[in-house]
Amino acid sequence: MRVLKLEYYKIRRKKIVPMILLLLAAEMLWACMSNSLSISRNPDQAVWASILFMTASLNGLFMPLITAIVISRMCDMEHKGSTWKLLASLHVGRSRLYAAKFGCAGSLLLLAIAVQAAVMAVYGLAQGFPGGLPAAWLLRFIGGTMLATLAAAAIQQWIAMAARNQAFALCLGMLGGFIGLTAPLFPAGVRRWLIWSYYLDLAPVTYRYAESAGTFAAQPWDGRIAAAALGTAFLCFIFGNLHVARKEI
Amino acid sequence: MRQSLSAEWLKLRHSRIGIVLAVLPVISLLIGCANYALNREVLTNGWYSLWTQVSLFYGEFFLPILVAIVCAWVCRLEHLNRNWNLVLTAPVPVAAVFMAKWIAASLLILLAQAMFMGLYGIAGLLLALPGPFPAETIGWALRGWYACLSISALQLGLSLRIRSFAVPVGFSLAAVLIGLGLYVAKWGIYFPYSLLTIGMHVLSRDALDPLREALFWTVNAGYGLLFAAWSVRGLKGRDAVTG
Repeated sequence: MRVLKLEYYKIRRKKIVPMILLLLAAEMLWACMSNSLSISRNPDQAVWASILFMTASLNGLFMPLITAIVISRMCDMEHKGSTWKLLASLHVGRSRLYAAKFGCAGSLLLLAIAVQAAVMAVYGLAQGFPGGLPAAWLLRFIGGTMLATLAAAAIQQWIAMAARNQAFALCLGMLGGFIGLTAPLFPAGVRRWLIWSYYLDLAPVTYRYAESAGTFAAQPWDGRIAAAALGTAFLCFIFGNLHVARKEI
Repeated sequence: MRQSLSAEWLKLRHSRIGIVLAVLPVISLLIGCANYALNREVLTNGWYSLWTQVSLFYGEFFLPILVAIVCAWVCRLEHLNRNWNLVLTAPVPVAAVFMAKWIAASLLILLAQAMFMGLYGIAGLLLALPGPFPAETIGWALRGWYACLSISALQLGLSLRIRSFAVPVGFSLAAVLIGLGLYVAKWGIYFPYSLLTIGMHVLSRDALDPLREALFWTVNAGYGLLFAAWSVRGLKGRDAVTG
């Protein structure tokens, strides 16, 4: 617990939370504006599913990049100040340090997702969407997005800690964003192998294309995709932890 | 100036930046081509349809982020150890240090654009698209590169000031979104990140009218000079932070 507290202490002046909020503000502004535009063209779109689907789609682009930036900042400070060696010489295992960093980054990203849910709730209530606040959908949105983010974060932390040059970690984040953005174009069989497409696959709603128009529909929770996300996060965390802990500094 | 430029190349040698430069155009092309091949019955405009598929995400979102990564990369070594002290006490003008970095970053981006265009041509041939290769797409890629010059001057200014590698990239992501919003609101000609969308004809194939064409070239040049002056001023006026 003390190691985790020290991670928060180290980033207290890094302005990571304001940076996350700034990027989220841009994303949510985009989501709300394009949703309002859709509603003005087609009043049938004034439903909770529309804003949830829009945010989940944009998360495919934004969350891999936000995850890459947050984790890169937290790991880069150890590389830049050569403090990883200093930390490794303390009476704390490197595995615990690695886990603390992951926990700290995970909590910041959870905060980001919770903020997204709050913005969607306020937007939906302000728009007067029918049916009241869909708490179950919002909770599923938080859970699904968090699972996908944890998997992406585990990969990012592995790369960001293993390679001093953060360009590789950010390039991976950019590729993740690219895959997340284009994920709806892939067949379902291909999407299963790309964790960045899970933002849409684990969302509580989906968009079904009919011949001339499409409709929003509730998407049942897919336990296999959730397990795949959790498994990827677990495996990447374990292998990353082992690799970084045994690596010569 | 020549010495500064050769020093930049020396620093970039064996740096594996080529991997970063190659990955994005290749992935963009692969996904764009797959989407084109799967929707050929709807995308009937041959080479131009393929262009819309391959350049949409690349030009709109990922090229500006690639520019940010390249700019952060060329400033990375200086932020390590006490290298700023070394660079700023070298017998070369500060402006030459910046210009060398700007030229190096611009050439790397030109390389990425050239690779993108080469892959686009190969993809078109493999997909057996009708008609000759559209020469105007080369012009669009070059205009995209020209728009990248002002973006890279700004990103370099940020990367020279900010020690973190990731923060300028995050700034670029936010700027891309603002640029998209301004493009939709028809104000794109006044914002550097939207000028890239306009220059590469990512969202529209229509040629610009003469006034907007002139604005594209002059506004971009103006931004480039402004950001370059701002960056050089930052290098001259601020104390170097090392460590």
